[in-house]
Amino acid sequence: MALKFKGKVWVFGDNLDVDNELFPFRKGDSGEIKPSEFGQWVMTNVDPDFPRKAKKGDIVMTGTNMGCGHDHAEAIKGFLQLGISMVISESFNRNWLRNAIYLGLPIVEYPGIKKMVKEGDVLEVDLHTGEIKNITSKQTIKFTPLPEFLLDILEAKGIDRYTDNQVKAGKI
Amino acid sequence: MGKTIIEKILAKAAGKSEVSPGEYVEAKPTARFVLLGTDMGPRMPAAFKSMGWDKLWNPKKLILAPEHCGSYTRVGAEFTNRQSHVTTVQWARKLGVPDENILELGRIGNCHHIAVEKGWALPGSVYLSGPDGHSITVGGVGCFGSCLSAGATSFMRSGWTWFRVPESIKFNITGKLRDGIMGRDVYEYILGQIGPAGAIYQVMEMVGPVIDEMSIDGRLSMACLAMFTGAKTMMVNPDQKVIDWFKARTNEPFEPQVSDPDAKYIKTYTFDGSKIEPQVVIPPHRHIVKNVSETVGVPVTNAFIGSCASGRDEDMIMAARILKGRKVHPKVMFNITPGSSAAMQRMSEQGVLATLIEAGVFICAPGCGMCPGFYTPLAENEVCITSSTTNYPGRMGDESAQVYLGSPATVAASAIEGKITDPRKYL
Repeated sequence: MALKFKGKVWVFGDNLDVDNELFPFRKGDSGEIKPSEFGQWVMTNVDPDFPRKAKKGDIVMTGTNMGCGHDHAEAIKGFLQLGISMVISESFNRNWLRNAIYLGLPIVEYPGIKKMVKEGDVLEVDLHTGEIKNITSKQTIKFTPLPEFLLDILEAKGIDRYTDNQVKAGKI
Repeated sequence: MGKTIIEKILAKAAGKSEVSPGEYVEAKPTARFVLLGTDMGPRMPAAFKSMGWDKLWNPKKLILAPEHCGSYTRVGAEFTNRQSHVTTVQWARKLGVPDENILELGRIGNCHHIAVEKGWALPGSVYLSGPDGHSITVGGVGCFGSCLSAGATSFMRSGWTWFRVPESIKFNITGKLRDGIMGRDVYEYILGQIGPAGAIYQVMEMVGPVIDEMSIDGRLSMACLAMFTGAKTMMVNPDQKVIDWFKARTNEPFEPQVSDPDAKYIKTYTFDGSKIEPQVVIPPHRHIVKNVSETVGVPVTNAFIGSCASGRDEDMIMAARILKGRKVHPKVMFNITPGSSAAMQRMSEQGVLATLIEAGVFICAPGCGMCPGFYTPLAENEVCITSSTTNYPGRMGDESAQVYLGSPATVAASAIEGKITDPRKYL
Protein backbone atom coordinates (compact mmCIF):
# COMPACT_ATOMS: atom_id res chain seq x y z
CA MET A 1 0.00 0.00 0.00
CA ALA A 2 1.30 3.39 -0.94
CA LEU A 3 0.24 6.73 0.53
CA LYS A 4 2.88 6.52 3.26
CA PHE A 5 5.14 9.53 3.56
CA LYS A 6 8.12 10.60 5.66
CA GLY A 7 9.32 14.18 5.51
CA LYS A 8 10.41 17.35 7.24
CA VAL A 9 7.72 19.91 8.11
CA TRP A 10 7.37 23.52 6.97
CA VAL A 11 4.79 25.48 8.99
CA PHE A 12 2.58 28.29 7.63
CA GLY A 13 -0.41 30.30 8.91
CA ASP A 14 -4.20 30.49 8.62
CA ASN A 15 -6.49 31.63 5.78
CA LEU A 16 -3.92 31.20 2.99
CA ASP A 17 -5.67 32.40 -0.18
CA VAL A 18 -4.90 30.42 -3.36
CA ASP A 19 -4.51 33.71 -5.25
CA ASN A 20 -2.53 35.73 -2.73
CA GLU A 21 -0.49 33.97 -0.05
CA LEU A 22 -0.23 30.64 -1.91
CA PHE A 23 0.37 31.95 -5.41
CA PRO A 24 0.60 35.31 -7.23
CA PHE A 25 -2.63 35.17 -9.27
CA ARG A 26 -1.94 37.92 -11.80
CA LYS A 27 1.49 36.60 -12.80
CA GLY A 28 -0.01 33.18 -13.52
CA ASP A 29 -3.15 34.50 -15.20
CA SER A 30 -1.19 36.80 -17.50
CA GLY A 31 1.18 34.02 -18.56
CA GLU A 32 4.17 35.75 -16.95
CA ILE A 33 4.62 32.53 -14.97
CA LYS A 34 4.31 29.45 -17.19
CA PRO A 35 2.56 26.32 -15.88
CA SER A 36 5.90 24.50 -15.82
CA GLU A 37 7.22 27.15 -13.40
CA PHE A 38 4.40 27.10 -10.81
CA GLY A 39 6.72 25.31 -8.37
CA GLN A 40 9.16 28.21 -8.42
CA TRP A 41 6.43 30.60 -7.23
CA VAL A 42 4.31 28.64 -4.78
CA MET A 43 4.33 30.29 -1.28
CA THR A 44 6.73 33.04 -2.41
CA ASN A 45 4.30 35.77 -1.31
CA VAL A 46 4.79 34.46 2.25
CA ASP A 47 8.38 33.16 2.05
CA PRO A 48 10.29 34.16 -1.10
CA ASP A 49 12.91 31.45 -0.48
CA PHE A 50 10.48 28.56 0.01
CA PRO A 51 10.90 26.93 -3.44
CA ARG A 52 14.70 26.87 -2.97
CA LYS A 53 14.59 25.62 0.61
CA ALA A 54 11.94 22.92 0.17
CA LYS A 55 13.28 19.43 -0.54
CA LYS A 56 11.54 16.60 -2.33
CA GLY A 57 9.42 14.68 0.15
CA ASP A 58 8.96 17.59 2.58
CA ILE A 59 5.58 18.11 4.24
CA VAL A 60 3.72 21.44 4.32
CA MET A 61 1.62 22.19 7.40
CA THR A 62 -0.87 25.07 7.56
CA GLY A 63 -3.56 26.44 9.86
CA THR A 64 -7.28 26.84 9.40
CA ASN A 65 -9.18 27.53 6.15
CA MET A 66 -6.31 26.31 3.96
CA GLY A 67 -6.62 27.32 0.29
CA CYS A 68 -9.43 29.81 0.77
CA GLY A 69 -10.80 32.05 -1.97
CA HIS A 70 -11.33 30.89 -5.52
CA ASP A 71 -11.01 27.38 -6.96
CA HIS A 72 -7.66 28.05 -8.64
CA ALA A 73 -5.19 25.16 -8.57
CA GLU A 74 -1.82 26.77 -9.40
CA ALA A 75 -0.50 26.34 -5.85
CA ILE A 76 -1.41 22.64 -5.80
CA LYS A 77 0.40 22.11 -9.09
CA GLY A 78 3.33 24.09 -7.66
CA PHE A 79 3.57 21.89 -4.55
CA LEU A 80 3.49 18.77 -6.74
CA GLN A 81 6.25 20.17 -8.97
CA LEU A 82 8.44 20.82 -5.94
CA GLY A 83 7.89 17.25 -4.80
CA ILE A 84 6.06 18.24 -1.59
CA SER A 85 4.77 14.87 -0.41
CA MET A 86 1.63 16.08 1.35
CA VAL A 87 -0.16 18.96 3.08
CA ILE A 88 -1.56 18.79 6.62
CA SER A 89 -3.94 21.55 7.73
CA GLU A 90 -6.10 22.43 10.71
CA SER A 91 -9.01 22.78 8.25
CA PHE A 92 -9.61 23.07 4.52
CA ASN A 93 -11.56 25.35 2.27
CA ARG A 94 -13.82 23.24 0.07
CA ASN A 95 -12.23 24.19 -3.27
CA TRP A 96 -8.81 23.29 -1.87
CA LEU A 97 -10.02 19.86 -0.71
CA ARG A 98 -11.56 19.06 -4.09
CA ASN A 99 -8.68 20.26 -6.23
CA ALA A 100 -6.00 18.62 -4.06
CA ILE A 101 -7.71 15.24 -4.37
CA TYR A 102 -8.44 15.74 -8.07
CA LEU A 103 -4.78 16.53 -8.78
CA GLY A 104 -3.39 13.82 -6.51
CA LEU A 105 -1.86 15.94 -3.71
CA PRO A 106 -2.31 13.95 -0.48
CA ILE A 107 -3.93 15.98 2.30
CA VAL A 108 -4.82 15.43 5.94
CA GLU A 109 -7.15 17.59 8.00
CA TYR A 110 -6.48 17.62 11.75
CA PRO A 111 -7.77 20.44 13.98
CA GLY A 112 -5.13 21.25 16.59
CA ILE A 113 -2.17 19.80 14.66
CA LYS A 114 -0.17 23.03 14.88
CA LYS A 115 0.03 22.68 18.66
CA MET A 116 1.56 19.21 18.27
CA VAL A 117 4.08 19.71 15.46
CA LYS A 118 6.85 22.30 15.06
CA GLU A 119 8.71 23.45 11.97
CA GLY A 120 11.58 21.09 11.22
CA ASP A 121 9.94 18.08 12.91
CA VAL A 122 10.09 14.88 10.88
CA LEU A 123 6.75 13.12 10.42
CA GLU A 124 5.79 9.71 9.15
CA VAL A 125 2.22 9.72 7.85
CA ASP A 126 0.07 6.82 6.68
CA LEU A 127 -3.13 7.93 4.94
CA HIS A 128 -4.62 4.42 5.00
CA THR A 129 -4.21 3.68 8.70
CA GLY A 130 -4.76 7.31 9.73
CA GLU A 131 -1.58 7.71 11.70
CA ILE A 132 0.90 10.59 12.05
CA LYS A 133 4.11 9.63 13.84
CA ASN A 134 6.16 12.61 14.96
CA ILE A 135 9.64 11.09 14.83
CA THR A 136 11.15 14.20 16.43
CA SER A 137 8.82 14.39 19.46
CA LYS A 138 8.05 10.65 19.55
CA GLN A 139 4.32 11.39 19.59
CA THR A 140 1.66 9.52 17.62
CA ILE A 141 -1.52 11.19 16.36
CA LYS A 142 -4.52 9.26 15.05
CA PHE A 143 -6.87 10.72 12.44
CA THR A 144 -9.90 9.47 10.51
CA PRO A 145 -8.72 8.36 7.05
CA LEU A 146 -10.48 9.58 3.92
CA PRO A 147 -12.96 7.09 2.45
CA GLU A 148 -11.52 4.34 0.25
CA PHE A 149 -12.70 5.86 -3.04
CA LEU A 150 -10.84 9.12 -2.38
CA LEU A 151 -7.68 7.25 -1.31
CA ASP A 152 -7.98 5.36 -4.62
CA ILE A 153 -7.93 8.70 -6.48
CA LEU A 154 -4.80 9.77 -4.55
CA GLU A 155 -3.16 6.38 -5.24
CA ALA A 156 -3.84 6.88 -8.95
CA LYS A 157 -2.12 10.30 -8.60
CA GLY A 158 -5.25 12.17 -9.60
CA ILE A 159 -8.80 11.90 -10.87
CA ASP A 160 -7.94 11.75 -14.58
CA ARG A 161 -5.72 8.67 -14.19
CA TYR A 162 -8.26 7.17 -11.80
CA THR A 163 -11.00 7.64 -14.40
CA ASP A 164 -8.72 6.32 -17.13
CA ASN A 165 -8.10 3.14 -15.10
CA GLN A 166 -11.87 2.67 -14.95
CA VAL A 167 -12.24 3.33 -18.68
CA LYS A 168 -9.50 0.76 -19.45
CA ALA A 169 -11.14 -1.74 -17.11
CA GLY A 170 -14.37 -1.32 -19.06
CA LYS A 171 -16.23 0.04 -16.03
CA ILE A 172 -17.23 3.28 -17.77
CA MET B 1 -34.13 14.05 13.63
CA GLY B 2 -34.89 16.71 11.04
CA LYS B 3 -32.59 17.49 8.13
CA THR B 4 -31.21 20.70 6.66
CA ILE B 5 -31.81 21.71 3.06
CA ILE B 6 -28.24 20.80 2.05
CA GLU B 7 -28.51 17.34 3.66
CA LYS B 8 -31.74 16.70 1.75
CA ILE B 9 -30.29 17.82 -1.58
CA LEU B 10 -27.11 15.75 -1.21
CA ALA B 11 -29.02 12.66 -0.04
CA LYS B 12 -31.14 12.85 -3.18
CA ALA B 13 -28.08 13.32 -5.41
CA ALA B 14 -26.37 10.33 -3.77
CA GLY B 15 -29.49 8.16 -4.06
CA LYS B 16 -29.60 7.65 -0.27
CA SER B 17 -32.48 8.03 2.14
CA GLU B 18 -30.41 10.35 4.34
CA VAL B 19 -26.88 11.68 4.81
CA SER B 20 -25.13 13.30 7.77
CA PRO B 21 -22.42 15.97 8.15
CA GLY B 22 -18.88 14.69 7.72
CA GLU B 23 -19.96 11.85 5.44
CA TYR B 24 -18.42 11.56 1.97
CA VAL B 25 -20.90 10.40 -0.69
CA GLU B 26 -20.52 9.29 -4.27
CA ALA B 27 -22.96 10.78 -6.74
CA LYS B 28 -23.98 10.53 -10.35
CA PRO B 29 -26.06 13.68 -10.75
CA THR B 30 -28.36 13.44 -13.71
CA ALA B 31 -28.82 17.15 -14.38
CA ARG B 32 -26.85 19.04 -16.97
CA PHE B 33 -23.19 19.98 -16.77
CA VAL B 34 -22.22 23.46 -17.88
CA LEU B 35 -18.75 23.92 -19.28
CA LEU B 36 -17.81 27.53 -18.82
CA GLY B 37 -15.29 29.56 -20.71
CA THR B 38 -14.97 27.96 -24.12
CA ASP B 39 -13.16 31.19 -24.96
CA MET B 40 -10.57 30.66 -22.22
CA GLY B 41 -8.27 28.16 -23.92
CA PRO B 42 -9.27 24.89 -25.64
CA ARG B 43 -8.53 22.96 -22.45
CA MET B 44 -11.14 20.21 -22.77
CA PRO B 45 -10.21 19.03 -26.28
CA ALA B 46 -6.54 19.01 -25.21
CA ALA B 47 -7.29 17.19 -21.96
CA PHE B 48 -9.41 14.52 -23.69
CA LYS B 49 -6.72 14.08 -26.34
CA SER B 50 -3.96 13.63 -23.79
CA MET B 51 -6.03 10.97 -21.98
CA GLY B 52 -6.91 9.26 -25.27
CA TRP B 53 -10.65 9.62 -24.54
CA ASP B 54 -13.12 10.03 -27.39
CA LYS B 55 -16.44 9.70 -25.62
CA LEU B 56 -18.54 11.90 -23.33
CA TRP B 57 -20.57 10.54 -20.43
CA ASN B 58 -23.71 12.06 -21.93
CA PRO B 59 -23.40 14.61 -24.78
CA LYS B 60 -27.04 15.71 -24.34
CA LYS B 61 -26.30 16.90 -20.80
CA LEU B 62 -23.29 19.01 -21.72
CA ILE B 63 -23.75 22.74 -22.30
CA LEU B 64 -20.96 24.92 -23.68
CA ALA B 65 -20.75 28.69 -23.44
CA PRO B 66 -18.19 31.38 -24.23
CA GLU B 67 -18.41 33.09 -20.88
CA HIS B 68 -16.28 35.20 -18.54
CA CYS B 69 -14.86 37.38 -21.30
CA GLY B 70 -18.06 38.50 -23.02
CA SER B 71 -16.26 38.95 -26.30
CA TYR B 72 -13.56 37.60 -28.56
CA THR B 73 -11.00 40.39 -28.55
CA ARG B 74 -7.45 39.22 -28.57
CA VAL B 75 -5.63 37.22 -31.23
CA GLY B 76 -3.11 34.78 -29.84
CA ALA B 77 -4.02 35.37 -26.18
CA GLU B 78 -5.22 32.40 -24.15
CA PHE B 79 -8.38 34.20 -23.01
CA THR B 80 -11.02 36.08 -25.05
CA ASN B 81 -9.96 33.88 -27.89
CA ARG B 82 -12.33 33.09 -30.78
CA GLN B 83 -10.12 30.22 -31.92
CA SER B 84 -10.40 28.63 -28.51
CA HIS B 85 -14.21 28.71 -28.68
CA VAL B 86 -14.25 27.38 -32.24
CA THR B 87 -11.84 24.52 -31.46
CA THR B 88 -13.83 23.53 -28.36
CA VAL B 89 -17.17 23.66 -30.13
CA GLN B 90 -15.94 21.61 -33.11
CA TRP B 91 -14.65 18.97 -30.71
CA ALA B 92 -17.95 18.92 -28.78
CA ARG B 93 -20.06 18.61 -31.94
CA LYS B 94 -17.94 15.66 -33.05
CA LEU B 95 -18.66 13.94 -29.72
CA GLY B 96 -22.41 14.42 -30.19
CA VAL B 97 -23.24 17.59 -28.24
CA PRO B 98 -26.44 18.92 -29.89
CA ASP B 99 -26.56 22.42 -31.40
CA GLU B 100 -29.10 23.70 -28.87
CA ASN B 101 -26.55 23.03 -26.08
CA ILE B 102 -23.91 25.26 -27.65
CA LEU B 103 -24.46 28.90 -26.77
CA GLU B 104 -23.10 31.93 -28.56
CA LEU B 105 -22.41 35.57 -27.66
CA GLY B 106 -25.56 37.67 -27.71
CA ARG B 107 -27.60 34.94 -26.01
CA ILE B 108 -25.63 34.44 -22.81
CA GLY B 109 -23.58 36.51 -20.34
CA ASN B 110 -22.09 35.56 -16.99
CA CYS B 111 -22.94 31.87 -16.51
CA HIS B 112 -24.05 32.16 -12.89
CA HIS B 113 -26.67 34.69 -14.00
CA ILE B 114 -27.67 32.45 -16.91
CA ALA B 115 -28.05 29.36 -14.70
CA VAL B 116 -30.88 31.07 -12.84
CA GLU B 117 -32.26 33.05 -15.78
CA LYS B 118 -32.65 29.99 -17.97
CA GLY B 119 -33.99 27.87 -15.12
CA TRP B 120 -31.08 25.37 -15.10
CA ALA B 121 -30.24 25.69 -11.40
CA LEU B 122 -33.46 24.12 -10.17
CA PRO B 123 -34.34 24.47 -6.47
CA GLY B 124 -33.64 21.18 -4.71
CA SER B 125 -31.12 19.98 -7.30
CA VAL B 126 -27.34 19.85 -7.71
CA TYR B 127 -26.02 22.22 -10.37
CA LEU B 128 -22.54 21.38 -11.67
CA SER B 129 -20.22 23.53 -13.71
CA GLY B 130 -16.60 23.50 -14.83
CA PRO B 131 -14.08 25.91 -13.37
CA ASP B 132 -15.41 28.72 -11.16
CA GLY B 133 -16.12 28.55 -7.46
CA HIS B 134 -18.88 31.13 -7.78
CA SER B 135 -21.15 28.35 -9.04
CA ILE B 136 -22.39 28.48 -5.43
CA THR B 137 -24.35 31.62 -6.40
CA VAL B 138 -27.37 29.40 -7.08
CA GLY B 139 -27.65 28.66 -3.34
CA GLY B 140 -29.69 31.87 -3.35
CA VAL B 141 -32.53 29.92 -4.98
CA GLY B 142 -32.11 26.75 -2.89
CA CYS B 143 -29.97 24.87 -5.41
CA PHE B 144 -26.58 23.37 -4.49
CA GLY B 145 -24.02 24.67 -7.00
CA SER B 146 -20.60 23.11 -7.28
CA CYS B 147 -17.71 23.66 -9.64
CA LEU B 148 -15.65 20.61 -10.50
CA SER B 149 -12.50 22.59 -11.36
CA ALA B 150 -9.60 20.18 -11.80
CA GLY B 151 -12.12 17.32 -11.85
CA ALA B 152 -14.18 18.64 -14.76
CA THR B 153 -12.48 16.58 -17.48
CA SER B 154 -13.04 13.32 -15.66
CA PHE B 155 -16.64 14.16 -14.86
CA MET B 156 -17.36 14.78 -18.52
CA ARG B 157 -16.07 11.27 -19.26
CA SER B 158 -17.57 9.42 -16.27
CA GLY B 159 -20.58 11.40 -14.96
CA TRP B 160 -19.33 10.46 -11.47
CA THR B 161 -18.33 12.74 -8.65
CA TRP B 162 -18.36 12.97 -4.85
CA PHE B 163 -19.39 15.34 -2.11
CA ARG B 164 -18.60 15.84 1.56
CA VAL B 165 -21.75 16.58 3.51
CA PRO B 166 -21.25 19.86 5.41
CA GLU B 167 -22.53 21.08 8.75
CA SER B 168 -24.84 24.09 8.68
CA ILE B 169 -24.88 27.39 10.55
CA LYS B 170 -28.13 29.32 10.76
CA PHE B 171 -28.06 33.09 10.27
CA ASN B 172 -31.24 34.76 11.41
CA ILE B 173 -31.45 38.30 10.05
CA THR B 174 -34.14 40.18 11.92
CA GLY B 175 -35.73 43.59 11.45
CA LYS B 176 -35.86 45.43 8.12
CA LEU B 177 -33.07 46.76 5.91
CA ARG B 178 -33.00 50.53 5.55
CA ASP B 179 -33.25 52.16 2.14
CA GLY B 180 -29.96 51.89 0.22
CA ILE B 181 -28.83 48.75 2.09
CA MET B 182 -28.50 45.79 -0.27
CA GLY B 183 -27.97 42.00 -0.05
CA ARG B 184 -24.30 42.72 -0.62
CA ASP B 185 -24.11 44.79 2.59
CA VAL B 186 -25.76 41.97 4.56
CA TYR B 187 -23.12 39.47 3.43
CA GLU B 188 -20.14 41.77 4.07
CA TYR B 189 -21.59 42.69 7.46
CA ILE B 190 -21.71 39.00 8.43
CA LEU B 191 -18.14 38.54 7.13
CA GLY B 192 -17.06 41.44 9.35
CA GLN B 193 -18.73 39.78 12.35
CA ILE B 194 -17.57 36.16 11.91
CA GLY B 195 -14.34 36.61 9.90
CA PRO B 196 -12.84 34.71 6.96
CA ALA B 197 -12.79 31.45 8.92
CA GLY B 198 -16.22 31.87 10.47
CA ALA B 199 -17.94 29.11 8.52
CA ILE B 200 -15.17 26.80 7.29
CA TYR B 201 -16.58 24.02 5.13
CA GLN B 202 -20.03 24.81 6.51
CA VAL B 203 -23.23 25.98 4.90
CA MET B 204 -24.50 29.44 5.76
CA GLU B 205 -28.26 29.01 5.88
CA MET B 206 -30.02 32.36 5.77
CA VAL B 207 -33.39 32.87 7.45
CA GLY B 208 -35.47 35.64 9.04
CA PRO B 209 -37.64 38.57 7.98
CA VAL B 210 -34.85 40.36 6.08
CA ILE B 211 -34.22 37.27 3.92
CA ASP B 212 -37.96 36.63 3.42
CA GLU B 213 -38.37 40.14 2.11
CA MET B 214 -35.17 40.17 0.04
CA SER B 215 -35.39 39.92 -3.76
CA ILE B 216 -34.02 36.92 -5.64
CA ASP B 217 -31.32 39.26 -7.00
CA GLY B 218 -30.24 40.18 -3.47
CA ARG B 219 -30.16 36.54 -2.35
CA LEU B 220 -28.02 35.52 -5.34
CA SER B 221 -25.63 38.37 -4.69
CA MET B 222 -25.08 37.17 -1.10
CA ALA B 223 -24.76 33.49 -1.99
CA CYS B 224 -22.14 34.26 -4.64
CA LEU B 225 -19.75 35.43 -1.93
CA ALA B 226 -20.18 32.66 0.66
CA MET B 227 -16.67 31.28 0.05
CA PHE B 228 -15.08 34.35 1.63
CA THR B 229 -16.36 33.33 5.06
CA GLY B 230 -14.78 29.92 4.39
CA ALA B 231 -18.21 28.42 3.65
CA LYS B 232 -18.91 25.58 1.25
CA THR B 233 -21.97 27.46 0.08
CA MET B 234 -24.88 29.56 1.24
CA MET B 235 -28.44 28.28 1.15
CA VAL B 236 -31.71 30.20 1.12
CA ASN B 237 -34.79 27.99 1.54
CA PRO B 238 -36.83 28.54 -1.63
CA ASP B 239 -40.15 30.33 -1.08
CA GLN B 240 -43.12 30.91 -3.38
CA LYS B 241 -41.30 33.78 -5.12
CA VAL B 242 -38.51 31.37 -6.17
CA ILE B 243 -40.88 28.59 -7.19
CA ASP B 244 -42.90 30.99 -9.36
CA TRP B 245 -39.67 32.24 -10.96
CA PHE B 246 -38.66 28.74 -12.08
CA LYS B 247 -42.16 27.70 -13.13
CA ALA B 248 -42.18 30.69 -15.48
CA ARG B 249 -38.86 29.63 -17.02
CA THR B 250 -38.79 25.88 -17.38
CA ASN B 251 -41.05 22.90 -17.95
CA GLU B 252 -38.62 20.63 -16.18
CA PRO B 253 -40.05 19.11 -13.00
CA PHE B 254 -38.30 20.02 -9.75
CA GLU B 255 -38.67 19.25 -6.07
CA PRO B 256 -37.74 22.22 -3.89
CA GLN B 257 -36.26 21.23 -0.53
CA VAL B 258 -36.46 23.19 2.71
CA SER B 259 -34.91 22.58 6.13
CA ASP B 260 -37.02 20.81 8.72
CA PRO B 261 -37.95 22.85 11.82
CA ASP B 262 -35.96 20.42 14.00
CA ALA B 263 -32.90 20.24 11.70
CA LYS B 264 -29.54 20.36 13.45
CA TYR B 265 -27.30 23.44 13.23
CA ILE B 266 -23.92 23.67 14.87
CA LYS B 267 -24.47 27.35 15.61
CA THR B 268 -27.12 30.04 15.23
CA TYR B 269 -26.33 33.72 14.82
CA THR B 270 -28.94 36.47 15.05
CA PHE B 271 -28.17 39.88 13.54
CA ASP B 272 -30.42 42.93 13.49
CA GLY B 273 -30.76 43.91 9.82
CA SER B 274 -32.13 47.35 10.75
CA LYS B 275 -28.68 48.28 12.08
CA ILE B 276 -26.66 47.32 9.00
CA GLU B 277 -24.85 50.24 7.32
CA PRO B 278 -23.33 50.23 3.82
CA GLN B 279 -20.21 48.04 4.10
CA VAL B 280 -16.80 48.47 2.43
CA VAL B 281 -14.01 45.85 2.24
CA ILE B 282 -10.49 47.32 2.41
CA PRO B 283 -7.62 45.97 0.23
CA PRO B 284 -5.52 43.90 0.01
CA HIS B 285 -7.41 41.35 2.13
CA ARG B 286 -10.92 40.06 1.51
CA HIS B 287 -12.04 40.15 5.13
CA ILE B 288 -11.29 43.63 6.51
CA VAL B 289 -14.79 45.10 6.55
CA LYS B 290 -15.73 48.65 7.66
CA ASN B 291 -18.85 50.77 7.79
CA VAL B 292 -18.78 53.12 4.80
CA SER B 293 -18.39 56.10 7.16
CA GLU B 294 -14.86 54.91 8.02
CA THR B 295 -13.77 54.92 4.38
CA VAL B 296 -15.59 57.99 3.06
CA GLY B 297 -13.22 60.24 1.09
CA VAL B 298 -10.78 57.62 -0.26
CA PRO B 299 -10.13 58.82 -3.85
CA VAL B 300 -11.05 56.36 -6.63
CA THR B 301 -10.09 56.29 -10.31
CA ASN B 302 -12.33 53.42 -11.41
CA ALA B 303 -15.74 52.04 -10.53
CA PHE B 304 -17.32 48.77 -11.60
CA ILE B 305 -20.72 47.08 -11.22
CA GLY B 306 -20.98 43.58 -12.68
CA SER B 307 -19.70 39.97 -12.36
CA CYS B 308 -21.61 37.11 -10.68
CA ALA B 309 -21.74 39.19 -7.46
CA SER B 310 -23.75 42.01 -9.05
CA GLY B 311 -24.99 43.18 -12.47
CA ARG B 312 -28.56 41.99 -11.85
CA ASP B 313 -31.68 44.08 -12.50
CA GLU B 314 -31.89 45.37 -8.94
CA ASP B 315 -28.26 46.55 -9.06
CA MET B 316 -28.73 48.36 -12.35
CA ILE B 317 -31.95 50.02 -11.20
CA MET B 318 -30.18 51.18 -8.02
CA ALA B 319 -27.27 52.60 -10.05
CA ALA B 320 -29.68 54.42 -12.37
CA ARG B 321 -31.63 55.79 -9.40
CA ILE B 322 -28.43 57.31 -7.98
CA LEU B 323 -27.02 58.52 -11.33
CA LYS B 324 -30.26 59.96 -12.75
CA GLY B 325 -29.57 63.57 -13.77
CA ARG B 326 -25.98 63.33 -12.45
CA LYS B 327 -22.58 62.70 -14.06
CA VAL B 328 -19.73 60.31 -13.38
CA HIS B 329 -16.77 62.25 -11.91
CA PRO B 330 -14.46 63.45 -14.73
CA LYS B 331 -11.49 61.51 -13.30
CA VAL B 332 -13.41 58.22 -12.97
CA MET B 333 -13.86 55.40 -15.51
CA PHE B 334 -17.12 53.69 -14.52
CA ASN B 335 -17.70 50.29 -16.15
CA ILE B 336 -21.14 48.70 -15.78
CA THR B 337 -21.45 45.18 -17.18
CA PRO B 338 -24.92 43.62 -17.37
CA GLY B 339 -24.99 40.04 -16.14
CA SER B 340 -26.59 38.75 -19.31
CA SER B 341 -27.93 39.78 -22.69
CA ALA B 342 -31.46 39.38 -21.29
CA ALA B 343 -30.62 41.70 -18.38
CA MET B 344 -29.29 44.25 -20.87
CA GLN B 345 -32.53 44.03 -22.83
CA ARG B 346 -34.56 44.71 -19.69
CA MET B 347 -32.26 47.66 -18.85
CA SER B 348 -32.98 49.02 -22.28
CA GLU B 349 -36.76 48.57 -21.99
CA GLN B 350 -36.84 50.22 -18.56
CA GLY B 351 -34.77 53.23 -19.62
CA VAL B 352 -32.00 52.25 -17.21
CA LEU B 353 -29.46 51.96 -20.01
CA ALA B 354 -30.14 55.48 -21.30
CA THR B 355 -29.79 56.98 -17.81
CA LEU B 356 -26.44 55.27 -17.25
CA ILE B 357 -25.05 56.19 -20.67
CA GLU B 358 -26.14 59.79 -20.22
CA ALA B 359 -24.29 59.89 -16.91
CA GLY B 360 -21.08 58.85 -18.67
CA VAL B 361 -20.93 55.15 -17.75
CA PHE B 362 -19.05 52.75 -20.04
CA ILE B 363 -21.44 49.85 -20.76
CA CYS B 364 -19.51 46.63 -21.33
CA ALA B 365 -20.60 43.45 -23.15
CA PRO B 366 -22.49 41.00 -20.86
CA GLY B 367 -20.06 38.69 -19.05
CA CYS B 368 -17.65 39.05 -16.13
CA GLY B 369 -16.45 42.54 -17.10
CA MET B 370 -13.60 43.94 -15.00
CA CYS B 371 -13.77 41.34 -12.23
CA PRO B 372 -11.00 39.00 -13.47
CA GLY B 373 -9.14 41.85 -15.17
CA PHE B 374 -10.25 40.94 -18.71
CA TYR B 375 -12.03 44.18 -19.61
CA THR B 376 -10.67 47.70 -18.84
CA PRO B 377 -8.05 46.30 -16.43
CA LEU B 378 -6.62 48.59 -13.75
CA ALA B 379 -3.31 50.36 -14.42
CA GLU B 380 -0.47 50.92 -11.93
CA ASN B 381 -1.58 52.31 -8.57
CA GLU B 382 -5.17 52.91 -9.67
CA VAL B 383 -7.93 52.61 -7.08
CA CYS B 384 -11.25 50.92 -7.85
CA ILE B 385 -14.53 50.69 -5.94
CA THR B 386 -16.53 47.70 -7.11
CA SER B 387 -19.41 45.37 -6.32
CA SER B 388 -17.59 42.44 -7.98
CA THR B 389 -16.24 39.41 -6.13
CA THR B 390 -12.80 39.97 -4.64
CA ASN B 391 -9.81 42.24 -4.21
CA TYR B 392 -6.46 40.44 -3.92
CA PRO B 393 -3.48 42.18 -5.58
CA GLY B 394 -3.67 41.80 -9.35
CA ARG B 395 -7.25 40.54 -9.43
CA MET B 396 -8.53 43.36 -11.64
CA GLY B 397 -5.30 44.36 -13.36
CA ASP B 398 -1.92 45.59 -12.19
CA GLU B 399 -0.69 44.16 -8.87
CA SER B 400 -0.14 47.68 -7.47
CA ALA B 401 -3.80 48.68 -8.04
CA GLN B 402 -6.12 48.72 -5.01
CA VAL B 403 -9.65 47.32 -4.99
CA TYR B 404 -12.31 48.37 -2.46
CA LEU B 405 -15.53 46.35 -2.40
CA GLY B 406 -19.01 47.70 -1.69
CA SER B 407 -22.64 47.48 -2.79
CA PRO B 408 -23.75 48.68 -6.24
CA ALA B 409 -25.29 51.70 -4.47
CA THR B 410 -21.96 52.58 -2.82
CA VAL B 411 -20.13 52.10 -6.14
CA ALA B 412 -22.52 54.40 -8.03
CA ALA B 413 -22.37 57.16 -5.39
CA SER B 414 -18.57 56.93 -5.22
CA ALA B 415 -18.32 57.20 -9.01
CA ILE B 416 -20.16 60.54 -8.89
CA GLU B 417 -17.82 62.05 -6.29
CA GLY B 418 -14.55 60.39 -7.34
CA LYS B 419 -14.11 59.18 -3.77
CA ILE B 420 -15.78 56.59 -1.55
CA THR B 421 -19.21 57.96 -0.66
CA ASP B 422 -22.16 56.93 1.50
CA PRO B 423 -24.88 56.21 -1.09
CA ARG B 424 -27.73 57.26 1.18
CA LYS B 425 -27.11 60.95 0.50
CA TYR B 426 -28.21 60.35 -3.11
CA LEU B 427 -31.41 58.45 -2.31
